[in-house]
Amino acid sequence: MRRAYKYAVLAAMIVSTLALALAVSAGGLGYALPFPAVRNLAYWYLKTTYNPFMPKFTVSAPEAVTAIVWDYRGLDTLFETSVFFLAIIASMALMRGIDIRVPESMNLSKYGMSAIVKTVTKITVAIILAASASIALHGQLTPGGGFQGGATAAVAPLVIIVIFSLYFAVGSGIRKKSMLTLRTLGLLGIGVTSFAVIVAGLILGKAAYVFQNQPKEAAPIGLPSHILGVPMGGTLLLFNIFEFLAVAAGFTIVFLLLSVPEESVRKVLEGGEEHD
Amino acid sequence: MISPETLVFGVLAALGLISMVATFMAVMERDLLKAVLFSAVQSTAYAFMFYILMAPDILLVYVPVAVGLYPAVILFLIKKTERFEGGEEE
Amino acid sequence: MIDVNAFLFSVLVFSLIMNLGISLYGIFWRPSLVKKIIALTILGDTANVLAIVVGYRAWVAPNRPPIPPVLTTWKPTAADLSKFSSLAVDPLPQALVLTAVVIGLAVTVFLVFLTIQVYRLHGTTDVRKIAKLKG
Repeated sequence: MRRAYKYAVLAAMIVSTLALALAVSAGGLGYALPFPAVRNLAYWYLKTTYNPFMPKFTVSAPEAVTAIVWDYRGLDTLFETSVFFLAIIASMALMRGIDIRVPESMNLSKYGMSAIVKTVTKITVAIILAASASIALHGQLTPGGGFQGGATAAVAPLVIIVIFSLYFAVGSGIRKKSMLTLRTLGLLGIGVTSFAVIVAGLILGKAAYVFQNQPKEAAPIGLPSHILGVPMGGTLLLFNIFEFLAVAAGFTIVFLLLSVPEESVRKVLEGGEEHD
Repeated sequence: MISPETLVFGVLAALGLISMVATFMAVMERDLLKAVLFSAVQSTAYAFMFYILMAPDILLVYVPVAVGLYPAVILFLIKKTERFEGGEEE
Repeated sequence: MIDVNAFLFSVLVFSLIMNLGISLYGIFWRPSLVKKIIALTILGDTANVLAIVVGYRAWVAPNRPPIPPVLTTWKPTAADLSKFSSLAVDPLPQALVLTAVVIGLAVTVFLVFLTIQVYRLHGTTDVRKIAKLKG
């Protein structure tokens, strides 16, 4: 009875969607759907993202979305990175006191899945890391960039933790502290890159803005936009590399915290020994 | 015959209806493991929609995040808490 | 009399709006915390798809679709640039959705850790039972 009721509700929803769409489009809407032209703001973004005829307005990156994310709207991305960092810090504070120690007398080769799965995983982890680094590095020329590469690279530590075992991962250097160090290095790199043009301007005696990429009207200094004839986008390449590092390390911390077995947590919650 | 424009819009409409069915089954299901799998089906339908709507940057973020990382995190959560919604009773 | 393309596009938009309604029902009326988290992720993703649908562009001719906002020549002339800006989709909603996906992911990860802690301390993830616990 309950299953027939569920399927009847689903069929009613599909029929009502089709009927609503028919009612809206049968009598004429008064405007065309989808719209035939983009707005003026988007028209200007598309026109100035790689325009050698307007050297004081352009970004010199053929990819419009990466240029908007890191150059036109760079401050939005800076605060979004800090929101992600705050979420990771809050999770680490919630799971404080739980440390993963590997006992010395543990035979690591008995843990994890069978030998066939482990061998295939060794090959696929290398492929995943290479593909994600490639996605992150060409973000200013084709679709790609820092977040995309970082999210893809975060699958590799997850696979290692699930298939080998958590103790193998901790024993071979993927620890909470080392991943937190990598994440902080990535964020420091983003901060240094956003001040790079100002420092260069102070040294050479010219005016500059924070987060500046290319030379503008009143600030005639910027990072090189073409290296050996290939458009590199100035600060976009550096931002992509550091964001890739930060995002991949952040997700690894989350998976390390999630995969702690429940027995060691119960000991800490009942007031056992103090870990750091 | 059918013009390419009608074909593309027809595929988009079919994907929208598939995602609606998958969302309904995910919300109404009492076994949480099957609910996560239905939500992964819905994320795949959304990923196809992003590709046809000419947004390749979003596609490259959405496929690892919504089909790989979200179900992995929620599967860890289900393993540590309960599997059936509302306990084991009806 | 009926414009088939407009009808099919409206089917897409209305099915996304129904998805919003179903996931809102799932957040309010389902008692398990894990089901609420799953419905919240569906809500966020549907809002992102709606933003990208707003940025789409109509076809210029029946076999000339719009192109993604990526310029494919490295030495463009003025004619290349004006053809590009009359064919490409809107890049601004895509940049905003990129930010929104990452922020949604961060919030979901934090909610998952909170749920694990609630289960460890109270033994249940049913909000009806947690409401009776009195602190």
